[in-house]
Amino acid sequence: MKPDAAPEASAGADAGTPDGGWLRVHPASPFVRGWVALAAIVFFFFRDTFERMLQGGPLVDEQLAGRAPWLLFGGGVLLLLTGAGYVLSWYFTRYQVAEGYVRINTGFLFKQQRQARLDRVQAIDIVQPLLARIFGLAELKFEVADAGESAVRLAYLRMDEARQLRATILARAAGVVPDPAQPGAAAAEAPEHAVLTVPPGRLIGSLVLSEQSVVVVVGGLASVVLSAATENRSFYLFLIPAVLGMVAAYWNSLNRGYNFTAAISPDGIRLRYGLLDTQAQTLPPGRIQALRVSQPPLWRVLGWYRIQVNVAGYGAAGGNGEASSRTTLLPVGTFPDVLTMLSLVLPDPGTPDPVRIFTAGVNGLAPAVSGEETADAAGAPGSGTDDGGFVTTPRRARLLAPLGWRRNGFSATDTALLIRSGRWWRHLVVVPHQRTQSMALEQGPLARRFRVADLVLHTTAGPVSPRLIQAGLDEGRALLDEQAARARAARKRQTSEHWLDQVRPLVAGPSHTEEPNSQEDPQHG
Amino acid sequence: MRTEAIDPPGITWLRVSPKYITVRLASWALANLVVVALLCVPLILVVSGVWENFPLWLAVALPAVMLVLALWRLLLIPRQVRAIGYAEREDDLLIRRGIFFQRTLVVPYGRMQYVDIGVGPVERGLGLCTLKLHTASAGTNAEIPGLPAAEGARLREQLSARGEARLAGL
Repeated sequence: MKPDAAPEASAGADAGTPDGGWLRVHPASPFVRGWVALAAIVFFFFRDTFERMLQGGPLVDEQLAGRAPWLLFGGGVLLLLTGAGYVLSWYFTRYQVAEGYVRINTGFLFKQQRQARLDRVQAIDIVQPLLARIFGLAELKFEVADAGESAVRLAYLRMDEARQLRATILARAAGVVPDPAQPGAAAAEAPEHAVLTVPPGRLIGSLVLSEQSVVVVVGGLASVVLSAATENRSFYLFLIPAVLGMVAAYWNSLNRGYNFTAAISPDGIRLRYGLLDTQAQTLPPGRIQALRVSQPPLWRVLGWYRIQVNVAGYGAAGGNGEASSRTTLLPVGTFPDVLTMLSLVLPDPGTPDPVRIFTAGVNGLAPAVSGEETADAAGAPGSGTDDGGFVTTPRRARLLAPLGWRRNGFSATDTALLIRSGRWWRHLVVVPHQRTQSMALEQGPLARRFRVADLVLHTTAGPVSPRLIQAGLDEGRALLDEQAARARAARKRQTSEHWLDQVRPLVAGPSHTEEPNSQEDPQHG
Repeated sequence: MRTEAIDPPGITWLRVSPKYITVRLASWALANLVVVALLCVPLILVVSGVWENFPLWLAVALPAVMLVLALWRLLLIPRQVRAIGYAEREDDLLIRRGIFFQRTLVVPYGRMQYVDIGVGPVERGLGLCTLKLHTASAGTNAEIPGLPAAEGARLREQLSARGEARLAGL
């Protein structure tokens, strides 16, 4: 332990002990969290003075002189009450990591006690909003498989404490048994290798070429044309809120995607990003339920792709920017980047030639006429067509999807099912077999006419909803059965929630950056 | 069924109780009769001369179209109920439904998080219940309605026991 550390720092180091005592978060945290309220109170009571200062008048006029004591008194009381509330909330918020659980107690009037099993961890995030970053504080979010709110949020800890706690939780969750001879020893942070970064230029380029830019251009053109045609200048007025919204959206994407770095460690995949607010996510191995590689039409020119994932606990990415950035595994990347990330998510792709099959999945197109029906009849994915083993919509149903029928298809490896779709908006969805929750075969009247059916895989809430569009009926039925058998076999292989217990080959990506990340070492000294 | 079903071949489906048709009829009546009655309001107003400038044909067409749609749905109900089926296989439960829009769902026992049994007022009168399976995915809409209460209880116990034996992590 650091001998010269402040009390809360030594408490933080204790977080590594097997039966850590009850600890408190950093005393400054309620103020960092609630600074808006404090600022609002101050602003409300001193607005008059501010305004006079701006107008260059006397700071105190005679009218105010009578009111000033009351104003000051009222403001002071409010400030004091708020501050006292903050202190109380800080005092009654305590957490503990022990016996395979993380527990947190909050509230002094309405007490709440929460506990979450460490081996059920789905993801751990360390978030630093700008103000917290200035003070060197960080929030730790612990996700279990509940798509609602985070199971445990600890706001705020000192950065090294947060990192230490994350290492401890991950080590416990992985199944590392603390050494009984050294009960005080904290878990060492797992070494990590940076795998890829997204340069700012590419991020900006991806925003310029994104779908919302198309909307901006089209909307702008439409309003110019409209105002010219009707000679009515007021159309420009409608543009102002739209432009403000767009600027905010662009800024949000830039702020969240800036400096995106992916790294691999034995704990799982580490993602770091953020311009003003920074975030560090850790996804333990095997926690990704489904993954989607997608490419908007404009990105094809530059060969860029985006990867989104479903992680239990992150929940659905609604309009909420935070959720959508958390479920983004790669905001924009080249095809080698995509392959690298896929190799991290699926260390064992279950096929001898993963590059070929993933390339076919992302970019491939089935031959228009050649012996495809025979490949369908064989019904065995991977039976050696030119198209990476993808079984696509049969030719008879090409009227249902005149553009997409050669794209829409599936291919199964030993470890995952690959579903591709979309001619212009290209998508490739990858679902590991042991992550499939349930499956359904669906068919409407029109599809029945063409003897095709959709296969839907159900996964946890998130941006990816795997759906195999218009597979041939026989292939679909066969796939439903095979997939049920594969998922069953995969579940049997995966017996423990402790990922160190399962022998898994960890394939680090292309190791052009071999040096371990040189963070400060918060370990036991 | 005359058309080719999307189910995997070689499965004997267990059908739900025919009494479930009554439950569906009750909910159909509740929903559709209220809507038709509401849509009849303009007609009554026009006929009684309160609403002068409302076209009569529209006032007649509105409830009439709705009534035809409702009757169509009414005729479908018995067939829809007969189309609901479930089958317990060794490692998963199959649930099918629908004639026009068919769906065959496979829920592995090891994926079930919990099993619900719900009983509505009409169902209670007929001694039926609705069994619902929940997995970690919200998309799994696994529901077997119209089970006789005893069969529902048996199925729940059976599913819980099998789920426990095969429970896997997420």
